[in-house]
This record gives sequence, structure tokens and C-alpha cells, in this order.
Amino acid sequence: MAAAKMTVAVEAGAPGSAMLDIAGLNVSYPVYEEEPVRAVQDLDLSVRPGEIVGLVGESGSGKTTLARAVMGLLTQPGRIDDGSIRFDGKDMRALSENQLRAIRGRDIAMVIPNPRSELDPLIPVGKQIAAVARAHLDIGRAEADEMALDMLKAVHIPDPTRRFRAFPHELSGGMAQRVVMAISLVCSPKFVISDDATSGLDVTVQAQVLDLLRTLVREHDTSMLFITRDIGITAHFCDRVAVIYRGEIVEFAETASFFDNPQHPYSVMLLAAFAHNPALRNKWHKPLASTEAVAGRACQYAPRCVHREDACDERHPDLRELGARHHVRCHFPVERVA
Amino acid sequence: MRILRYIGRRFLFIGPQLFGIILVSFLLVKLIPGDPAVMMLGPFATEQQIAMLNVEMGLDGTIVDQFWIYLQNLVQGDLGTSWQTTKPVFDDLAIRFPATLELITLSLLLALLIGIPLGVAAAYFKRSIVKKFSDYYGLLAGSLPDFWLGLILIYLFYTIMQVAPAPLGRIDFAVLPPPPVTNFLIIDSLIAGNWQALWSTLGHLVLPVITLAVINAGPILKMTQATMERMLESDLIRYAEMCGLPKTTVIRKAFRNSLPSVVTIVSVLYGFLIGGAVLVEIVFSWGGAGQYAVQGVLNADINPVLGFVLFSAILSLIIYLLVDLIYFAIDPRIRG
Repeated sequence: MAAAKMTVAVEAGAPGSAMLDIAGLNVSYPVYEEEPVRAVQDLDLSVRPGEIVGLVGESGSGKTTLARAVMGLLTQPGRIDDGSIRFDGKDMRALSENQLRAIRGRDIAMVIPNPRSELDPLIPVGKQIAAVARAHLDIGRAEADEMALDMLKAVHIPDPTRRFRAFPHELSGGMAQRVVMAISLVCSPKFVISDDATSGLDVTVQAQVLDLLRTLVREHDTSMLFITRDIGITAHFCDRVAVIYRGEIVEFAETASFFDNPQHPYSVMLLAAFAHNPALRNKWHKPLASTEAVAGRACQYAPRCVHREDACDERHPDLRELGARHHVRCHFPVERVA
Repeated sequence: MRILRYIGRRFLFIGPQLFGIILVSFLLVKLIPGDPAVMMLGPFATEQQIAMLNVEMGLDGTIVDQFWIYLQNLVQGDLGTSWQTTKPVFDDLAIRFPATLELITLSLLLALLIGIPLGVAAAYFKRSIVKKFSDYYGLLAGSLPDFWLGLILIYLFYTIMQVAPAPLGRIDFAVLPPPPVTNFLIIDSLIAGNWQALWSTLGHLVLPVITLAVINAGPILKMTQATMERMLESDLIRYAEMCGLPKTTVIRKAFRNSLPSVVTIVSVLYGFLIGGAVLVEIVFSWGGAGQYAVQGVLNADINPVLGFVLFSAILSLIIYLLVDLIYFAIDPRIRG
């Protein structure tokens, strides 16, 4: 198992002190004349101040929907059916569009994947950083430009004065990703959501960018929700790891505990896939299994589970605490990975 | 620097392009049935008179000979003579093209003022009255004939309310036109400082400009709306929203990124309207270039037709060059 053994000191925050606290969240996308697609189901997740929480899941598992729901920017026709999202003590669902806009980019910043299509192709990148600073901070043009330049330096962009005037198409993918990080951090947000941010980069560049992101976040004591498809990254990057499958959290634990003793068959499968150990992978992976939503009360993962039993088809498992702050949604948690 | 090289390359191609256009239009115009000699001499002409006139006009040779003669004259700046106006085609067009350009330029400016704000608003406020209005407007503008709208406007504002001048040309008969310099009446009256002529010219422009603008705002609106809608759903704008940028900034960003397609549709409309405004020109007795060409086609007067095609072609080339320059200006990716 390639799980790194690492212990990270996590302050045991009081229940009310979470930076982001999501409880019982349900998000669905209505489908014409059909059952709505439930993208996020009964999801509880909290991130404490200064903490980095990893959220791992495959495409379509609801990661991005969750991030958008937090920002109050669900894509049409998605809607929040139920649940609460509290950020820094504020009920995000009760805020007006204007109040949300003041928070976005200022207190909660988003680091996005493929910056080439998300940065404005017509505006020099330095100006784009400055525009975000000016939108949220009460500063003048010159001061904003200066902050932008400082941010370009902070994200280690070579020749920042020249790059300030560069257009997005003139930058490499890695540099564009750094610009996006500069935009997200320019207002010193309290919370950063990184949505699969480095998925488009080469592995070497990815490592550099991630290191930088982590350093900057730690320096400013910012909390972060780190959404990724790559479970390997979370081992080095996060304080706690949550695994999401079909809109449900199936396992949520501190990083050390998670990698020492993953208990949900899906987590084990992801780790096995990552370990590049064919024997292990084959043991936990059921090829050709349906990834469709499961009707009724069955466990969502049952069709793909190698340990499926009758109970899995009859009862929907709850998220249970097994061990110290180690939550698992499974009737038959994995005891020991062999 | 890249832009200069680009323009230079464009100019290299202008010659061959024009030659091709002249060749094709010459052949096509020759295919139109009708004998100018018969038309000119009237019903009582003898065979002999007709044959003589054909020789005189150089119409007795083969089509290749005729084309060769036309080209030789063209190189000397001679576009031939119109037998209807009995004046050189070049002189005729020098008056009529500015008349049309003045009309369609102002019309398109007004059409932009109508189409862009409506298109942007309809794209942004998806479930609003503006959106409904824009949808109906687009439908209506696409289905109404422009000359009909012109006639309605004349009926309302000239016949009934009597606030508009008579639809008889570009300026009152009673007003002395300014000495021709550019043949754009607005510019010429400004040069001459002739305010009476300026006022009369503007007055005569109002109804035809509104007519063309109202109709042509339709496609501009549709294009703006469609591009803006796509833009507002794009990653680019979603990201701008995630960054909490103000609403106006977000809309402006979306619009700037939609601008190339708006420029494209305007250039297409401009090229089209040079000839396409002809029905409105007829309704308002405008004496424009399109009208001149149509008269030529109907009366087997081919020199005006060829002259018109040539002028339009050159103008279109200029417009497309301008459009490319605008693209250069707005998009740094093309600037390279």
C-alpha cells in the first residue's frame, strides 16, 4: 500500500467553530418527465479553520456540484432541496445574491481546472488579478496593480513584471494555473475550494503547483476543500480525507487513519487502483459493474462492491463512526486490507 | 508589424480578386436577354440601323473581344457610358454610391443602437419582458419586407401627420444642394457650412434610415443575443462570477468576448445592403446605387450594372479588410 504514514496535528475544534459546515445537503437536477438526478445526498461535511480537507471521487460523483452549491452558483437547473451550508457562522442559503457576490472571491475563493478557458482571453492576466482585488477591497487602480504584481511574485511566476501584461494564451498551462491561484489568493480569503485544479497539468508541474498552493494556504492559515480525482495526492496534502460516491460521503477520516485503515470497499478500490498493484486491484475491482444510480434503499455502491451481501440490497447504510473520527457508510466495513 | 505584413498580403490579392469578379459578372450580365441597340433605337428602327449601332458600340465582336475592349477601357478609368443617363458610368456612380453609403451607414449605426442593447438585455434577463419582446422583434423584423415598412412610415409621417418631408430624394427641391465634394450630402453641407442643406438632408434621411435600421436590427439583435447567451454560460463567465466580480463587469466581459460575431454580422449586412437597400431606395426615390443597377438590368444597359458590381466588390473588399483590422484590435490572440 502506497499510503504515506504521516501525522498532522489537527486542532480539535469545538463543534460550532467550523469554517465551513455542511449538514444534510441535498442537491438535485430536475430531468424532464423523469426522476430528478440527485447529485448530492444527505451530505455532512465540515472544515475547521486552517484545515485542508480532501474530497475524493470519480467524475459525476457530485464533487463539483458540491463546490458550486457552497458558492451559491449551481448551474441551471440544479437546486438545493434541503440541508444547510454555514460558512464562517453565516447561513449561505439565506444570503442575497449581492451578499454572496461579496463573499465569492473575497472570503471563499475557487481554484479551477483548465485556466486557459476560464481566464479572460482579452485582458492581460495582471489586470485580471487586479480586477478581483478591486472588486472586493477598497483600493485604487495603482494599488490593485501593485497587489497583483506581488501575487504574481508570490506564486513564483518568472519575470512577473513582463507576465503582468501577458495574455492568457501566451502562458503555459502551469503558469496559467499559477495565475488562477494568484487570483484566488489575492484577497487573502478565509477559505479556498480547489476543484480538480491541477488535473490538466503534467505530473511534475502538478507537484510544483500543489506544493505552492499548500504552502500559501498554510502561510495564511486558510482553510481549504481540496477536490480531486487523485486519491494519491490527498495523502500528502490533506489533514482529513472524505470519499464521495454518487453524491454520498462513504468514508471520512483523518488522513493517517484513512490511509492506515481504509474501511469502505470503494476507498480500498481507489487505493488499490492507485497502488499499481494488479493483484490487489483485481481483487477489489469489479469490471463492467454498473455505475448507475441504485433504485430504492439499497447501498449505492452495492453493484460494484466485491463484498456485496443480501443486506446491502435491502438497507441503505448510514454513515457510522468506527474508530476515532473515522466515519464509514458500509454494513460490512473492511477490517484489514490484504 | 504582423498587421502591416497582413495588410500587404491582402493588397496583393486584390488585383486577381477584382479580375475574377469582373470576368464572372461580365459573362453573367451578357447572359441576360435584351439587345441595347433595339432598346435605344425604339420600335421603328431598321435592321441596318441596329447593326450600325452595334458596330459603333463594339457589340458586333465575339464576347471575348467585347471583354477585351471593356478591360482596356477599365484600365483607363473608363467604365463606359450609360445609354439611359447618357453620362459616363463612373460619374453616375460617384454620385449614387455616396447616396447609398450615407443611407446604409447611418441605418446600420441606428440598427446597432437598437440591436445590441436589446440583444444583451434579452440574453441576461432570460425570463423577462425584454426577452419576450426581443423574440417577437426578431421574428417580426425577419418577416417584414423593408419597403412595406417604408411605405407605412411614409403614410404615417408624411401623408397623415405631415412631419416628414416628401419621399422624393435626398434633399428638398427648393433647397440649393451644397457644391459636390464627396457627394455625401451631410459632409458636403458641413464643408460648405450650408445649414439649410444639412437640415434638409437629415430630414430626408430620417424615414429611410429608420426603415432600414428597424429591419436590420433584427439579425444584429439575434446574433448579439445568441452569442451573449452562449458567453454567459461559458467557463469564462462562470469563473468571473465565482470571483465575485460586479454584475456590470461580468456583462461587459461577456459582451467584449461576444464582439467578434457582432462585427461579423454587421460587415455581412453592410455588404448586403449596398445592393439590398434597393427597394427602400425606390420607395424613397433615393437615386442610390442599387436603384441605378436595377434600372440598368431592366433596360439592357450593361455598363451601369458592371460598374455597380465593380464598385460593390471594391467596397466589400475594403469592408472585410476593416473587419479584419477590428478583429486585430479586439482580440490579442489574433495579434499574436
